[in-house]
Amino acid sequence: MSLLLQTITPLAEAAAGAEDENKSFLVSPDAGAMIWTLIVFVIAWIVLAKVAFPKIGEALDKRQAAINESIEAAERDRAEAEKLAAENRQNLLEARTHAEDILTRARKSADAHEAKARDEAKTKGEEILDQARKDIEAETRRAISEIRTEVADLTIQATAKVTGKTLDGDDQRRLIEEALDGLDFSALSGERR
Amino acid sequence: MSTRAKVRISLGVYVLLIIAAVAAFGATKNADSSFEPANEFKVDKWIDLGPLSINKAVLYIVIAGFLTVFTMMWVAKRMQAKPNRTQTVVELIYTSMRDNVTGANMDSRMATRWFPFIATIFLFIWYSNLIGYIPLPTNTEHKFDVFGLQVPHFALYAATANLGVPLMIAILVFVFYTGEGIKKKGLFGYLGSLVPAGVTGPMAVFIWFLEFLSNFMRLISLSVRLFANILAGHLIILFMSGGLAVLLGIHAVGIIALPAGILLYLFEIGLVATLQAFIFATLTAIYLGGAVSESH
Repeated sequence: MSLLLQTITPLAEAAAGAEDENKSFLVSPDAGAMIWTLIVFVIAWIVLAKVAFPKIGEALDKRQAAINESIEAAERDRAEAEKLAAENRQNLLEARTHAEDILTRARKSADAHEAKARDEAKTKGEEILDQARKDIEAETRRAISEIRTEVADLTIQATAKVTGKTLDGDDQRRLIEEALDGLDFSALSGERR
Repeated sequence: MSTRAKVRISLGVYVLLIIAAVAAFGATKNADSSFEPANEFKVDKWIDLGPLSINKAVLYIVIAGFLTVFTMMWVAKRMQAKPNRTQTVVELIYTSMRDNVTGANMDSRMATRWFPFIATIFLFIWYSNLIGYIPLPTNTEHKFDVFGLQVPHFALYAATANLGVPLMIAILVFVFYTGEGIKKKGLFGYLGSLVPAGVTGPMAVFIWFLEFLSNFMRLISLSVRLFANILAGHLIILFMSGGLAVLLGIHAVGIIALPAGILLYLFEIGLVATLQAFIFATLTAIYLGGAVSESH
């Protein structure tokens, strides 16, 4: 408490004293300072108004213009991009339809080709088969005829050996031919009917 | 270390320092009457040039003016499309002065004309206030020796703590807004417009007289608001940062008061310096705009 009192009393005294002695310079305007303020302030005002502020303002305006320009450009670009995207979508759709068309046609054409090829192959195969059959038949007939001749000859020779005499060639051959006609050679031709 | 621990340690050190000071020097009063806090604001002539004599206040005015011009020119010459931090601050000041202070109080043609004046007021006062918180070797009353060179003691001072500086700017403001009013409405028109709309009869005469006086009061309110704020701020920082201890002659008081001194210093530099400059500029814009509006 005493410390507080000790603090306050001289402060009040000092403040009162200051009021008396220093009023003159503390709260009275100093003419020199006023003149200097006028000079310095007016110079600063002129320099800022003529040089600095226009430059700063110009830069700010330029940036504002650039920002506006960018926004407009961005909007333009976006519209352009949207238009392009729509076009692309359209193109894609057309291309897909076109591709499907092509595919369908190709599939049809391939099917037709395949069928034709199959038919041709079938025909060709049948032709070959027919030819082969004909060849075989001819060959068989020739073989049978040869066997017949051979059998007739062998029979004549065997008969001659057994009887010791020979029939007249032509008679004998006729007899044998008649006998052979009674035989079935069909088994030799491989035809099991 | 947690924040709580840090606070406790700081408080402990603070109390210990007070106890140590009391133990070392005692708590008895040993007032030094030779110390006059007000003398910190005394402006002694350094170079006598008659009315243009150079003193501490003039030095601060010139530094503030130089900084106002130099920083703005420096930034203006280096304006970039992508601003750096300094440019951002300058742009913020520029646009708030142009759009929020000047533009909001008058029409655009008048705003274009008066924006540089209002922005210069803000910047000049702002710099004056701010450099007032940087200790500069200006106390020629007391000097210290550096290798035989007598250097004045470092001290805090501000041009705006000298009544003449804000008063001069207030006079300029008064002259310009009165001039604008007279230019717009003519001398009698302007004087007549001092009466608020709707007031008639004998009352109008009385109100006119009050309004007329209040216009001159603006000179005092504008200048004293700024001057007193800055002077009081400096005085209280001075008291809290040692002045009180010297005045009372109790050493421990110096340690007790120092944290308050630091906080006040930060408060002054962080808020008051800018706020007062802003208020001065805003009122200037309001007065200019009001002078040309239909009636007050």
